[in-house]
Amino acid sequence: MALRERLDTHACVETAFGKLISEKEAYRYSTRTIAAFSANIFQLMRILNPSWEDRTTAICEIANMMNMAACAGGKGELDQYLNAFYDEWNIPELCKRSAWLGAIWGDSGDEYENMAGRVIQFTENRVEKELDTCPWDIVGSEMCNMTTAMFTANFDIAAGGEHGETTNDVQLNMCEARGCGNPHCRVVAERLDHFDLEHQDWLDHMQQPTMPVHDTPVERRVHDGQGVRNGQYVNAFGEEKSLEWEYNWVSAMGWVWSVSFPLIAIRDMAENDDEFERLLKIVFSTAGKNAFIDPFAVEGLRSWLGVPREIGPNDPRLMGAYVKNIIDCQLCPCELEAFDEDGVVIRVSTDDFNGRFPMAPLDEITMGYEAQWSGAVKTMVSPEWSCWFEGKDDEFMTINVGRRVDSRMQ
Amino acid sequence: MLFKEDSVARSQHLAVRDNAGWYRWTHDTVELTGVDADAFVDHMMVATVAKAAVGQGKYTTMLDERGTIIDDLIAMHVGEGRWWLSTLYGPHMVRWFDQHRDGFDVSYHDVTQTIDMYSVQGPNSARLMDEIVADKVDGLRRFQIMRTSIGDMEATVDRGGFTGELGFEIYCSREDSDRVAEAIAGPARELGAPRLDTLEVYVRALPMEKGMGLRQDYYGLTPYEAGLGWSVHLDKDFVGKDALAASHEAGEKRAFVGLEIDRDSYEDIAQGEIIYGRGIPVGVVRQFIYGYSVDKNIGFGIVDAERAPLGTRVTIGGNASPATVVASKWL
Repeated sequence: MALRERLDTHACVETAFGKLISEKEAYRYSTRTIAAFSANIFQLMRILNPSWEDRTTAICEIANMMNMAACAGGKGELDQYLNAFYDEWNIPELCKRSAWLGAIWGDSGDEYENMAGRVIQFTENRVEKELDTCPWDIVGSEMCNMTTAMFTANFDIAAGGEHGETTNDVQLNMCEARGCGNPHCRVVAERLDHFDLEHQDWLDHMQQPTMPVHDTPVERRVHDGQGVRNGQYVNAFGEEKSLEWEYNWVSAMGWVWSVSFPLIAIRDMAENDDEFERLLKIVFSTAGKNAFIDPFAVEGLRSWLGVPREIGPNDPRLMGAYVKNIIDCQLCPCELEAFDEDGVVIRVSTDDFNGRFPMAPLDEITMGYEAQWSGAVKTMVSPEWSCWFEGKDDEFMTINVGRRVDSRMQ
Repeated sequence: MLFKEDSVARSQHLAVRDNAGWYRWTHDTVELTGVDADAFVDHMMVATVAKAAVGQGKYTTMLDERGTIIDDLIAMHVGEGRWWLSTLYGPHMVRWFDQHRDGFDVSYHDVTQTIDMYSVQGPNSARLMDEIVADKVDGLRRFQIMRTSIGDMEATVDRGGFTGELGFEIYCSREDSDRVAEAIAGPARELGAPRLDTLEVYVRALPMEKGMGLRQDYYGLTPYEAGLGWSVHLDKDFVGKDALAASHEAGEKRAFVGLEIDRDSYEDIAQGEIIYGRGIPVGVVRQFIYGYSVDKNIGFGIVDAERAPLGTRVTIGGNASPATVVASKWL
């Protein structure tokens, strides 16, 4: 279709060098950057707690509790909360709502996050979901387990359980997970009473289901969620959410479930806040340095950003444009205050930067990115350059790329 | 999703086609009453609904001001100045009525939570019904309603359904629901009529083969584009009439069609998947399912009427699943 016909309808992110990145590419990239941040946080967790069982149980408990808190309050409030979902999702009475809501909830969340797949089975007693892709598949097995704890909460809420109560009406098994190396993520919920099953503990959620699963042939798997493929997600009852809606949702909620929830448990694993922050900075700084150690990684970045050849290899604008593009793609408003061969200054609201989900701001976003970008600039540009934040306690802060000498630089 | 090798879904599907089957089918219901109830229902719907005699129902669509479908339903004339309006989602209908009630002496409310409903479908459904309800059903005309009883429980029965087969729907109170289910289960077992528990069989596969869509399939189309022009009465006033008349006069640009893919299954086709004609978008999928009577993967879609007439070879989605545009009714 001619560009003129699309100018008003197709959004994009403009890089500091004027290259336009389409909304779909920006959305894909954004989900992946949130997942990468989450992966760093999980590495920190593995340092703090060497027991896979302990740390997995801890984040499962937190994730379940925080999801259940969504319906905190009395019976009336829970009914109101559920009715709002029925209304939003157009769920008719002919469905057993308590059985369906948890599944509809989970399926929509997957699609908002560009976890591409399909609902294989959607019945009163059994739900089977298969995912071909997952932007968070780099985080690891603890996260895959953690998501089952969140799904358990969704099913409990749908069943009408009250705040803090886990009724566990279903066995919920992530019998395959891309984060564990499987080709698919596959979640199966089977009703306890129908299949004569027993309640599960947190570490029991990756078993095989009772009934066999369906395996989609390779040639019919998909690479992106419905939002990227078709411009919107459509649920089983015809309700739609546009790609724009999904993009905005994941730009807030992606940080909540994959960073904020596990961080509650991970902070408790450290002896104190100082120790937690010291280790966090080491992990993120290392991740940053390693991101551009390969020369072709920098070449790929130049192509992505549309960097002109006259911008040489030792120019801070390369790093500045990279940082700004990440923030832009994450839908966090920011603006350039300086962008020349002497350095880059990006101004951003502190609340916007840390409060991707405004009700639950995360100082760790500033802490992590400052360390990561400070490490990245060393290999992307050169060790002469550094990246630091100023005004972190003010209404607005600046992200700076500049020359900095520090005899104790890390 | 339904797959051809699913023997449980296949047996439930074929039971309805060849014998009978039953299931809980409590669609949302809005009760409309008042002095102006007949006039109001006619004002809101494209069909001449108010002409239905007491004890009779009528199929119709409901439009927005742009003349496109926002709901399709059966309006049942259950008493003088009293209607039951079946809909997939009652709260939406109530909110829509709120915007258009000025000047009409009516009241309406969503009664979904007070009633329950079972559907008995299939060529032998009348035989099964006669074992369940106190009065014979074989005299009922299509969409005709009858007050009757099941044991000591009051019930309302209408001849209708969503499978394209002979069928009946039983309305009862919520309190009686379990006992009504028990009353159906015994005779059904003797007749070999299963209780269907695969929702997609009775919501999608059975109706689609007979060309019957859900609200979400027709949503946003005009009744003419949806192939439902027969229900429109432009000689009366109704919401959306002017826009509908204008678009009809200009000619329908889109068509509601059937689709058949040449593959064993349709895992990569979601609702809204893009249909391509020679690599160019020409429409979108509304739904795909496996039809066990026709033994094919079949679907509904909306296409550019000029660029994708019946018989056009198209591809669907990113994996370019080859498909053919066909009529939206298989049986």
